[in-house]
Amino acid sequence: MKELKPRYDLGGDEFIFVELAQEMSLEANFRGIAITQKLREKNIEGVVDICPSNASYMVRIDPEVIHPHRMIEELKAIDNSIEDLSDIQIESRAVDVPVLFEDPWTHEAVMRFRDRHQDPESTDLEYAARINGYDTKEDFIKAITDSPFIVSMVGFVPGLPFCFQVVPREQQIEVPKYVRPRTFTPERTFGFGGAFSVIYPVQGAGGYQMFGIAPAPVFSQDTRLPDFKESIVFPKQTDLFRYRAITREEYDSIREEVEAGTFQYKTCDISFKADEVIEDPKKFSEMVMRRLYND
Amino acid sequence: MIKVLEPGIETTVQDKGREGYYEIGMPPSGAMDRYSYLAGNLLVGNEENASSLEITYMGPKLQFEEDAVIAITGGEIPPKINDEPVPMWTTLTIKKGDILSFDFVKSGARVYLAIAGGIDVPVLQGSRSTYTLCQIGGFEGRALKAGDELKIGEMQETSVKEGTAIPDEFIPAYKKSHEIRVIIGLCSYRLTEESKQRFLDLEWKVTPEANRVGYRFKGERLNFVEREQPFGAGSNPSNVTDLGYPIGSIQVPDGIEPIALLNDAVTGGGYATIATVISTDLSHMAQIKTNETVKFKAVDLDEALEARKEVRRKLDKIRELTTGQK
Amino acid sequence: MSDKAIISPLPGVFYRKPSPEEGNYVEEGQQVEAGDVIGLVEVMKNFHEIKAQESGTVESFLVENETVIDAGQEVAKLK
Repeated sequence: MKELKPRYDLGGDEFIFVELAQEMSLEANFRGIAITQKLREKNIEGVVDICPSNASYMVRIDPEVIHPHRMIEELKAIDNSIEDLSDIQIESRAVDVPVLFEDPWTHEAVMRFRDRHQDPESTDLEYAARINGYDTKEDFIKAITDSPFIVSMVGFVPGLPFCFQVVPREQQIEVPKYVRPRTFTPERTFGFGGAFSVIYPVQGAGGYQMFGIAPAPVFSQDTRLPDFKESIVFPKQTDLFRYRAITREEYDSIREEVEAGTFQYKTCDISFKADEVIEDPKKFSEMVMRRLYND
Repeated sequence: MIKVLEPGIETTVQDKGREGYYEIGMPPSGAMDRYSYLAGNLLVGNEENASSLEITYMGPKLQFEEDAVIAITGGEIPPKINDEPVPMWTTLTIKKGDILSFDFVKSGARVYLAIAGGIDVPVLQGSRSTYTLCQIGGFEGRALKAGDELKIGEMQETSVKEGTAIPDEFIPAYKKSHEIRVIIGLCSYRLTEESKQRFLDLEWKVTPEANRVGYRFKGERLNFVEREQPFGAGSNPSNVTDLGYPIGSIQVPDGIEPIALLNDAVTGGGYATIATVISTDLSHMAQIKTNETVKFKAVDLDEALEARKEVRRKLDKIRELTTGQK
Repeated sequence: MSDKAIISPLPGVFYRKPSPEEGNYVEEGQQVEAGDVIGLVEVMKNFHEIKAQESGTVESFLVENETVIDAGQEVAKLK
């Protein structure tokens, strides 16, 4: 934790931006989670929005109620009160997230925007597998689906989960974004950019590599769906998403459930301490998989 | 009931905005020129958060099917009732059967039509504002179309005398070149010193990509400090590990064309942000048109907070005028 | 008859043709009626038709195809 040197800065007169680290790490993410949790509990008057992200966080305030400099002092005090990773308790849920890899819809989009890609000769999946040192697409899909990802940030558009895989650093997949962003990405595309996988909640522009499509929504206004009764977005920061490769048959049957308003994600509540994950990500991931599928 | 005969180019229902949902990726939406929007509600005696129509570049043609009290504020898109010019920034009455229409835009980019009672659309997460990207809020989650019928709500709290007019000193005037105040910061360390200075020295031209999501500017390429990109950030020098974007923040993807993010913007992403428009000047941003020019002026927090107080003082004065009370 | 102008009510990119593959809406010297479309303006990802406000002969275009124009700018002269 000593290596994290938070940098406090102003985003105009209403936002405080705090960069915990320039590079992505579980340490920085967990620290941001811990600080923003404590901030929420303090219920400080004048705080409008608390927005934790990957390796930084942001607080929106009404500067006439709380002066931005005063807010920064509060945040520094919270930061100082967190001694080390074992202090950080995280209430999370593991989620089974089905994905149809190499589906016809994202494939159509992959082919349509070849001229904006680093490698027009391969598909996004073939390219990403190759530059990450995998011999086959299948091996690469296995690496993505073998270990869960932690939702390290929600944002960009409502409900978009940025997901960071819980594996040792040397196993982490990293891919560049498109050379020029696409003007179209299908709704529910499973994408990858930098060190993050995402599911696009709605159709729109995008720059992440496209590997497949999820049959279940992450954003929905259909309140018949049990997962969307409380909120129009499903993902929460700290969720543990396990992407599971499915067949076209299963895809179609989940789509039917979604259309009928009966689909529900398979989930399992998991409570853990941040240091458990950092010290042995492999062991932690195996525990998550066991809890999600065997309990 | 108000019937939309012609919709204009982008006319949406907006209020103060949807606050408190930034963390799930939901931008606030809401009236872009908050000052004009609030002044409009004061002129018709509405509660502060009653919804109005935000009209961009070209006015709609609306038929009122009941008597109503209205006010039109913002940039200058001259209004007419039954083809007769009527003043802006003034409490007006309109009769059943009357048609409200607009001339071509003279200055600014957006006007607000406030109606006593507000526009009655469903409240979603505390707001009636339209967020077109996700097709939520406002009137069916979209800009108005011909044939739409708008219901008038019940958010009037006091009646204001017809003809009550806001004095000129409270009415902003817009030219074709603009000065917008910013606080430099966020990831501005990514720019070279020379480029940081050039960002402030250049006159930036507003491209046709200028809407409620953001304004994109043309000028010169800005340069980033060379570095080995940190893990997770992505390969372009303008990339950072995905982070939150403040409303009004300015990013420069690939160093090419700066984008100022506004009310309907994405809430985060992987581009270095270099400055943030101060909250009061977001109202001014809303009145800038494509092909006009902007110069960014760096100010400190004290100046930004003073500007905020000044806007509040103006709105308090307008309230005294419309309610006749101190 | 005095000179008349066709004005764009919107700022944006001015196009003289409906799509890149098609010909111009009107040529210089051509007769137009009030309401005839003479060009498009693209702004905020919308296309808006620019129509002649009155009838006459298009004497000349005052802006090139695909240039960015101001709101209220004259795009063509009529006589």
